[in-house]
Order: sequence, then C-alpha cells, then structure tokens
Amino acid sequence: MRLHMTTTSVLAVLATAGFATIAAAQTEVRFTHAMTGGSNRAALDEIIANFEAANPGITINQIVFDDDIYQDTGLITQLQSNEVPDIYFQWAGFPLSRDVEAGFAADISAEMGAGWSDRFIESAFTDGAGTTVNGAIHMVPLSLDVTNTIWYNVDIFEEYGLTPPETWEEFKAVITTLAENGETPIVTGNNEFWPLGNWASHIAARVVPADQFDAALRQEMTFAEAGFLRPLELLEELHEIGAFNRDMQGLGADPGMATFFQGAAVMHPIGSWLVGLAADLADDDFRYSQFDTPVIDPDAEAPQSVIGVTTGLVVHAQAPNREAAITFLDFLTTPESQVLWAEGGSLSPVEGVTDMAEMDPQMESMAEMLGNADAMVPPPDTTYPLAVAEAWYQAAAFVASGERSPEDALDWLDTTVAALN
Amino acid sequence: MGARTSRPAPIATGAVNLLFAAPALLLFGMFVLLPLATSLYYAFTSWNGFTQPEWIGLSNFRRAAADPVHLRAYLHVTIYILGTLVLEVGFGLLMAVLLNSQRRGFGLMRGFFFSPMVLSMTAAGLLWTFVLDYRSGLINSVLRGFGLDDWAQPWLSQPGTALGAIVLVSGWRFAGFYMIIFFAALRRIPRSVYEAATLDGAGPVRQFFTITLPMLRRQTLTCVLLAVTGGFAGFDLFFAMTNGGPFNATEVPATWIIKQGFDNNQLGYATALTVILAVVVMVVSLIYLRMSERVDAVRY
Amino acid sequence: MPSVTDRRSPGEWVQFAVGGLIVAAMFYPTVWMVLSAFKTNREIFRDPFGLPDQWLWGNFAEAWTEGRLGSLYLNSIIVTASAVTISVFFATAAAFAFSRLEFPFRRTLHRLMLIGLLLPPPVVAIPLFSILRDLDLLNTRWALILPGAAWSLSLTVFIMYGYFQQVRTDMEEAAMLEGANTWQIFRDISLPMVWPSMLTMAIVNTINIWNELMFALLFIVEEEKQTLPVGLIRFFGRYSTDYSMVFAALTITTLPILALYFLLQRHVIAGLSATAMD
Repeated sequence: MRLHMTTTSVLAVLATAGFATIAAAQTEVRFTHAMTGGSNRAALDEIIANFEAANPGITINQIVFDDDIYQDTGLITQLQSNEVPDIYFQWAGFPLSRDVEAGFAADISAEMGAGWSDRFIESAFTDGAGTTVNGAIHMVPLSLDVTNTIWYNVDIFEEYGLTPPETWEEFKAVITTLAENGETPIVTGNNEFWPLGNWASHIAARVVPADQFDAALRQEMTFAEAGFLRPLELLEELHEIGAFNRDMQGLGADPGMATFFQGAAVMHPIGSWLVGLAADLADDDFRYSQFDTPVIDPDAEAPQSVIGVTTGLVVHAQAPNREAAITFLDFLTTPESQVLWAEGGSLSPVEGVTDMAEMDPQMESMAEMLGNADAMVPPPDTTYPLAVAEAWYQAAAFVASGERSPEDALDWLDTTVAALN
Repeated sequence: MGARTSRPAPIATGAVNLLFAAPALLLFGMFVLLPLATSLYYAFTSWNGFTQPEWIGLSNFRRAAADPVHLRAYLHVTIYILGTLVLEVGFGLLMAVLLNSQRRGFGLMRGFFFSPMVLSMTAAGLLWTFVLDYRSGLINSVLRGFGLDDWAQPWLSQPGTALGAIVLVSGWRFAGFYMIIFFAALRRIPRSVYEAATLDGAGPVRQFFTITLPMLRRQTLTCVLLAVTGGFAGFDLFFAMTNGGPFNATEVPATWIIKQGFDNNQLGYATALTVILAVVVMVVSLIYLRMSERVDAVRY
Repeated sequence: MPSVTDRRSPGEWVQFAVGGLIVAAMFYPTVWMVLSAFKTNREIFRDPFGLPDQWLWGNFAEAWTEGRLGSLYLNSIIVTASAVTISVFFATAAAFAFSRLEFPFRRTLHRLMLIGLLLPPPVVAIPLFSILRDLDLLNTRWALILPGAAWSLSLTVFIMYGYFQQVRTDMEEAAMLEGANTWQIFRDISLPMVWPSMLTMAIVNTINIWNELMFALLFIVEEEKQTLPVGLIRFFGRYSTDYSMVFAALTITTLPILALYFLLQRHVIAGLSATAMD
C-alpha cells in the first residue's frame, strides 16, 4: 500500500516536473514509537502516507513496540545501538531531561525558532511542560495526555441506577453497590505499577499540598512528613469495600483495559488514550463515559486538579537523517496533519486544532476537563527521579491490593527511597 | 561426569595442531570469555551504557549486598530450584519407573510426556499464562466447574502463589527430560536383579528404594546438577509469565539483572550483579561436584 | 522380559491407567491451545472446554500476517541453522584436537572451554551487548548467531570429546602410517566416525538456540530480524486481549515443532539424554 503510493507519487512528480532522473537515493527516516494500533496509529499512518506522497525522496520506517516493551528494553537498546532511530517517541519531563543528559536528545531550538514553534499553544514550550531542558527545545510536542480519569460502563451504571459521583463518599457508595451485586467495580492492570500509580498520584495531589507533594518526590522530605499517609488510607478504604479486581498485580495495562471493554468490570481509571484504543478493543455498541476523580476535600489547595503529561517526538542527537526527520516533524505538526491526528483521538498541542477537528465526544469532554481544572499535576514518573516515583507507585499498589497496611507501605516507601542515595 | 578412558597416544604433536581448536577457541574467547573478563571491569564502575564508565570501586557490590530485592532474588531462585528438584527430577524419576514397560502404548505415552520439552519456554510460559488466568483460565474454570469458586485464585497476581505457579510450569516442561534420562538408565538394570528381589519377597516399593534408586545414583547426581545450574540461568519462563512480579515475588537474579541494566540504565550495577551470579553458580556447582565425587569414593 | 502378546496382569493395567491419566492431563493444555485457536474470543470465555462451534481457520491466516510469523520463522531458521552448523563443526574440530593431538596449553585450553557448562548466559548479557555494539553487529542476525554458537560450544566440545575418547584410534593410526596429514585424517577418518554424535549435538543445539529468548530480546531491535520467541512475546503484548489470536499464533509456532519432534522422536530423545549421561 505504502510502497504503491510512493511509486505513483514518484511517477507523478516525474511527469509533472519533468525531472530527468529519480532522486539519487531514498532517505529512510527511522521512527520508533509504541503505537501498535488503534485510531491514533491509523491517523499516524495516514499522515505518513500523505507525507511520503508529498516528499518522494523520503520514506518513514516505523519501528513499533508494544508499550511496556518500549519502555523496558525497546527504546533504550535502540538509543544505544549503532543504528540509532532518527526520531523517537518520549514523555516530556524527566525522561526527556535524562535523555538530554545522556546525549540522546537533539537540541532543535534553531529549527523551532524559525516560526515553527509559533504554531503550538502558548504553554507548549516551557520547562514546566517538560519539552525544554535548560531553555533549549528538545521535543516536538504531539499530544496532551490526561493520564488519569475514571472511565465507566454506562450500561452497567444505568442497570443499577447509578450516576457519576461528585464526592468521595458518593464514589464509595457507587463502589459498594456494584461490589454487593457481584460486579468488579474497578479494574486496573497494574503489573507495571504506573496505571494505579498515576491515579494514586492524582488522589495524593488532591489531599497533599503541592509543595509537599513536590518535596517528597524530590527526596527533600520523607513521604510520611509530606502527608502521604492520607492518600494511602483512601486507597485502603477502596480496597476494603472490594473496589479492585483481584488480579490487578498480574494483569498488564492493556488486558486491564480490555477487561473494562468486555464489561467484566465497571470502572477503569486510566488516561485519555483509552479513546484511541476503543476502536480496536470495544464492540461498536459499547457505551462508556468518564468522570474525574471526585472531590475528596473541598478545602484542599486544588480540589479539582487534573493529572496530565505532554508526549512528543525527539530527534536523536546522532540521527543520520536529521534534516529529513525535521522535514517530517514539520509536516506532522501542520494544522492539516494535526486535524487528522486529533480526529484519531488525541489532544493536539497545535493552536486551534481542537476547534477545527471533528473530535470524538469523549475527547471533547477531556478537553473541557482540562479547561476547567484548577491545576495541572504531572504524573510523577515523568517529572521526578524514576526510582522515587516507582517506589511511590509500588507503595500505592501494596495498599490497593491489600498486601500491606498504609502505615507499613509508607514505612517501606521511605526506607526504599532513603536507600536510593 | 567425563569419560574415564585414558587418553591414547596423540596422532600429531606441535603448535600447528592448535589450528584445529582455534576456530572454537576464538569464538568462545570472543563471546564468552571476553565478556566475562570485561564484566570484571564494568562491575566496578558507574556506567549507563552510553557515557564513559566511571570507576567507583566496590560501591556496586556494597549496594548489591544491601539491595533487598537482589537478596530476595536468591531466595526465590533457591525455592525455584528446590521446587524443580521435586517436580522435575523427582516427578521425572517416578514417571520413568511408571512408564517403564515394553507394553504397547507406553512408548507413545513417553513420547507425549516428553513433548512439552520441545516447546520454547516462551511458548510454554505464554500458554500457561492463559491456563492460570484468573477470569477465564483453564485451572479456575475447572475449579469453578466443581463449584469450588473460593479456590479459584489469581495465581500469577498474588505474591503467595506466583512463584509456585512458575515452578509448576517449569515442572510441566522439564519432567519429561529427566524422565527420559532415568528411563534410559532403567533399561540397563538387568531384570534378573528385580526377579531375585521378588523371590526374596521384596514388593515394588522396597525394590524401588533398594534397587532402582541406588542403581540410578549417578544419573540422579547429574540431573540434580543440571537442575541446579539450569535453575540459576532461569529467565525465559519468568520473563514471559510475570517478569519478576507481583511485588518482586518472582524476581530471580536473571530478571533483576536485566531490569537494572536495561530498564534502569545502570549497566555498571547490573554487571556487578552478573559477577555475583557467576561466582555463586560456580561455587555451588564446584561444591556439589566435589561432594558428589566424595559420595562415589565412599561407595567404591 | 514378557513378550508383548502376553496378557497384562491387573497391576500392569493399573500402571497403564495411572500413566495414561497423568500423561493425558499434562498434554491437555496443548490440546486446549489448539482447540481455542479455532474459537472466537467470546467462545473461549464462555465455553473453554468444548469443541469450537465453528472451526475458524481464518484465525491462523490472520495471526500469520498480523504477527509476521513468516518472517519470524525465517529468521529463526537462518539463525538456528547457522549457529548450529558453526558450533557443531568448530566443536568437533576442537574435540578432535583435544583428544587426538598434542599442542602447547592443550589441557588448560580444554578446561577453559568447559567453563560454559557451569555458567548461565545471563552473566554476560550486558558486556556482550557492548561488545556487539563495538563490533557493529547489534541488530544483525550475527548478534544471535555468533553468541548462540559460542554458548553451545562448551557442551558440544564436552560431548564430542567423550565420543572421541570412546572411539578406537586404529583407523586414524593406520592412515597416519600411510602418510596422511592431520587434516586429511580429520576429514576422511575421524569426521565420518563421529558423524552420528555430531547429528545428536546438532539436534540438542537446535532446540537450545531455536528457543533462546534473552539474547534475542536484547540484541535485536528491528521487527524484520526478530526470532520466534521474541516475536511471540511481542505478539502477546500487542494482542494480550485477543485470546484467539494468541492461541492461533502459539499453535502455528509450536505445532510444526511438535510434529517434527514426533517424527524424529528417537533422535531427539537420544540426543537430549546423551547430554546428561556419563
């Protein structure tokens, strides 16, 4: 298919422009990411096809990994190999700054300076957004991901006469109703710790003051001092009323999501990317919607904060085809391409795209949620030292799966983090 | 182990004969000995694989000694090895005795019993992930079918059962291998020995302990060594089924090394862990070999 | 030994029944895998034990193309065939040298080569990664062939040496007296003599290298060069929710191997038990 399109477009160029010879050699841009399927991937494939039609001298070779493998060994083995990818997918924030430090991520400030960066929304390039490191741009932002909201099965909610809860007590009442009727109220595929960890961080950010939250994850204060007992106790409350699936620690993130789409569980706390995967995993008549984690403490600093992260593409510092890579990234972030991208189920960081695109209603509501939030909290694993974030995630998993009490988990967490130094 | 025949006079002498061994030695040196030797250097460095390694002395080893997951990995691998001794070597021995018959059908049964051995650990692991699945796995379906709903467990998702489940799968895959080894040896025990024992009034159980087991001593020692060294190398099954989880409950040295090296980008530390693993395996095997040789010496 | 036509005693019937039951129970997961491969996802959940309502052969075609199983098979075949050939020939030559020839450091080098018998491959994974990178071999099939062959050498040399020690040297000595040089003796006399055991070792090494996962996971990045075990893991990651697809892929990748095994059963069993004997 792609080959066919390239060939025809080459011929078209030859015919119209009257080139004497075919451009010497095809430049192959190697682009590695973790979008294995779904409507995001379909949108990406379409954009790439358009690009290759418009740039006959360049082909894009996608090297695709399953999400977990990408993060575990897939990306790092590529970054270190002799044949590095020209472009790779990365999370903004800590992972990006670590790549910059290791010399993987190219500084693209110069290219961005020539008007390119003006296409993006105002907050796209800040150290806070995590796309720049020490003021230099190292990432082309591609999606704003809300990393946690609570998706629910509309049919099952209706069956038991439930409505999206607005307070923590209402939330627990919903869970109790479901559990008493033999449903699995919440499913999470937490074998890699981040799915629940993200949500736990969202809950924590609702009850722990922002500066203390930050200090604990930066190892400037113990988690106990920072007040992380409370979020762990909240998770324990959920565990005690039978909120979670029993196999959460053995289940992968994707199987967890599939369990939700199969109707084997009622709620699923995960990020906005669920929309992009629904096409693959859910039946056409599957009805779902979402609500943000209910307000826990109305008097807290940011009772309606949202947790989210920017993801984007990085040019490798040793990219053999830097120029072609930039050409592609430029094409990918034109408003035209971004409309396709947004319609595939992503929140585009390019100015005005959200209004132009005919987006999935779920994405619309996600965009709205972002607009109404009183604060944006980054997920710890993209902002703070990974080992600290992961220890916190694991502590949350201990409590939610009933392995340890909040006190024990907190002790374990502070001991583990102290040993990191 | 090792052929005991004495060496015949050489066909040729001289350094030029080294050429016959040279290809193997070069390959072995390049991809086995050289990495072993370089790990002795990397183990003392802080190294992320990309920048220059930085010499940090014994820090990695101090950290390894205090790394609770690393220490637990050795506990887990020990439990795993003990489990495989029962479910692979022990069960294999029993099945060798049970399937030791010239009757029609037994050859086929041995063939089937051995067949999991030719599947890759990866395929076996993935297959069993489904067999053990909480919601729709074969085992829980059977249990629920018998009305034992409470017995249905998320086998691979609980720290208490995950390691046991992996041992079970390992037993499933390898029991046939040990069965075949024991079977080959059983065939060489003269039937007259058993007949004499039967005349003396010894039943099958006593015959097993007084004749079969002693006659298979050498094979048993070999099998135990294979199970122990193989157990320390265990990676595939763990990676395919739990990748060390839940909560590091199935973390073994190999999975922890790979995680430290490639997930966490700490190749120096991970290399130190490999050095420790190499030393542990060598020491355990050498002690074992020495002990088993002494057993030989006592008997003869 | 009673002849096969004798009537079986009650004890033998019990032995047959107990053995049959255990073997059937242990083989059942394999049967379950094959049957499930023909079902829809829904049917696997609803009726895990029954025969498929409809035999969906299409599952296999879909798994074959979606999982690029053809290319995985090809890579596994290339890697395994090359590594096995290299390891068996190199090891046989070395075993010949260690058992028939005399040269400086012979004993030391021989012992050195046996180190691999006791070492698990994970201990070199990391330095090997950087060595392969320096040699520019990462992400090529050589990254699996060469280490795969190298790690098979210890066992192969060990076993081949044992065979050489068992085989009498008369023919080789006779050839030597007739003026044949060492290479000719090796090629024309020794190799044909130990040929059967080389085949045995080829089978053993094939099983090991065909199934190798860790090196394949770390040293190969591109999908086009991946081998079956890694491909299966990745397929599982991608389709972990689509049971029928995973079962179809598992069936496609294991059934031919199982069939081959049942065909070559005698040799496989002889080979594997030889590695553990004596």
